[in-house]
Amino acid sequence: MRHPASGLPPAPAGVSPGGSDSEASLYEVRQKIYPRAVHGWFARWRIALVLATQLIFYGLPWLVWNARPAVLFDLGARKFYVFGWVLWPQDFIFLTGLLVVSALSLFLFTAVAGRLFCGYACPQTVYTEIFMWIERMVEGDRMQRMRLDRGPANAVRLSRKALKHGLWIGIALWTGLTFVGYFTPIRTLLGEVASATLGPWETFWILFYSFATYGNAGWMREQVCKYMCPYARFQSAMFDRDTLIITYDAQRGEPRGSRSRSADRARLGVGDCVDCGICVQVCPTGIDIRKGLQYECIGCAACIDGCDQVMDKMGYARGLIRYSTLNAVAAKWDVRRMWRRVLRTRTLIYGALLLAITCVLLGALYLRTPLKVDVIRDRAMLARETRDGMIENVYRLQIMNTSERDRRFTITATPESGRAGLQVMAAQPVAVAGAHTASVAVAVRADPANLKPGTYTIRFHVEDADDPALKVDEKSRFYMR
Amino acid sequence: MKHAMWILWPSFLVGVVAEGVFFSMVDPTDLHLFGQPLELSRSAVYTLGFFLFWAFAAASSALTCWLQHGINGSESSDA
Repeated sequence: MRHPASGLPPAPAGVSPGGSDSEASLYEVRQKIYPRAVHGWFARWRIALVLATQLIFYGLPWLVWNARPAVLFDLGARKFYVFGWVLWPQDFIFLTGLLVVSALSLFLFTAVAGRLFCGYACPQTVYTEIFMWIERMVEGDRMQRMRLDRGPANAVRLSRKALKHGLWIGIALWTGLTFVGYFTPIRTLLGEVASATLGPWETFWILFYSFATYGNAGWMREQVCKYMCPYARFQSAMFDRDTLIITYDAQRGEPRGSRSRSADRARLGVGDCVDCGICVQVCPTGIDIRKGLQYECIGCAACIDGCDQVMDKMGYARGLIRYSTLNAVAAKWDVRRMWRRVLRTRTLIYGALLLAITCVLLGALYLRTPLKVDVIRDRAMLARETRDGMIENVYRLQIMNTSERDRRFTITATPESGRAGLQVMAAQPVAVAGAHTASVAVAVRADPANLKPGTYTIRFHVEDADDPALKVDEKSRFYMR
Repeated sequence: MKHAMWILWPSFLVGVVAEGVFFSMVDPTDLHLFGQPLELSRSAVYTLGFFLFWAFAAASSALTCWLQHGINGSESSDA
């Protein structure tokens, strides 16, 4: 791992950085990075992914399903609505499973192709990309921005800055509102904003999330990746010599040096790198990829696009900076040989685990019965004798209808062993509205002629009166005296 | 600035996890404070709970940072 400070941005003119490597203090003042706009294959991919992820993020809260938001984490009612599913706190295991699947996917992607997540899908990258796009629209590209920042604080500069921050804050506020829109229906939320009746907690979270967005994407940017992101630190555990990373082909590029387009490389004794510094200028974390893999590299491939443009201009082959593996570069493998190494023990293990857990999760979700029952014994008394000589135990049944249909349930009870009949005393059937819980007091009676004194395990059977396939058994204890 | 990040960010992540695990198992309306039921809305408890978790985690991170700082100073290592 290289030291954090070694990735400092170069001097403004885009000269390759040098010299700043030596004394690296952990307390250095951050130098503002002015990434230059870049076009190309990877940039297009990044834009597509920014659009896709944001379309999902901003759009989901607006989707309607069964006359309610399609995705709503109703914390107030402790219910999560996800399209056709209603998840209860008891379904926490699914959330855990989802986290495990996400983590394993991250491991797999990282082992195959490095920090794909960072470069294309991480919210930090995505919002930084959006904020930088606004910055470019308002203040111009790299050189114009640097000139503006170095120039006098005149009306032009102030108005540009005000416009930029105004737009940033606008987007941040909309992002905050959307975030809270996952927890409170967004239409209700907008209505409350319009009529200034927003609750204090919602107001707080909108502002908190907006502030975080504005701060992270507008100000912190690459510092988040460099100093805050744990993933950046442990990614090396998933890397090996066959992981695709962004590499500079030093054998081909060195010795680097500027030359005219018509110059003969062989005669000058230079490699393909023209030392234009574009790869450094476009880098959002301000590193020089020619120094090898550095932990600041978020794998955004902006330097590949930048370098390919220069290679085209020079009439050289593309790919001086390219996605490649350490093995492939060292042994000069062709692309096919390199890709064959994608299938190796590490990726196969990650892949198999991922597939297995995903299947189990989907299976469990598919087979999940939309009915849950909790049985709580009345703690105040064990058993009592009724007027007609029967022995009675009292229970409270929590019947959770986790589907969105109103249902009616019947309750019966049987002892786990023995044939003695148990009588269930409750108003039946029990109606439970969709996505609601009913709490029912149930008395169970047994004839002392049939059952000797002692403790018995009994089973409650709760069954949908209209759909006998939907039933749940729940154990409890019955005391006979 | 960097110290603030090192303290606030990991504790934020831990706070999020703690909040998720704790409140998926405990209903805020079941909570009691000094024997009295909490008279706060669920969203209020969720919010306060999150900041409490964050604050505790931050305190731990701050201590770690402070202890580590001493070690680096005496050995003048490059961390």
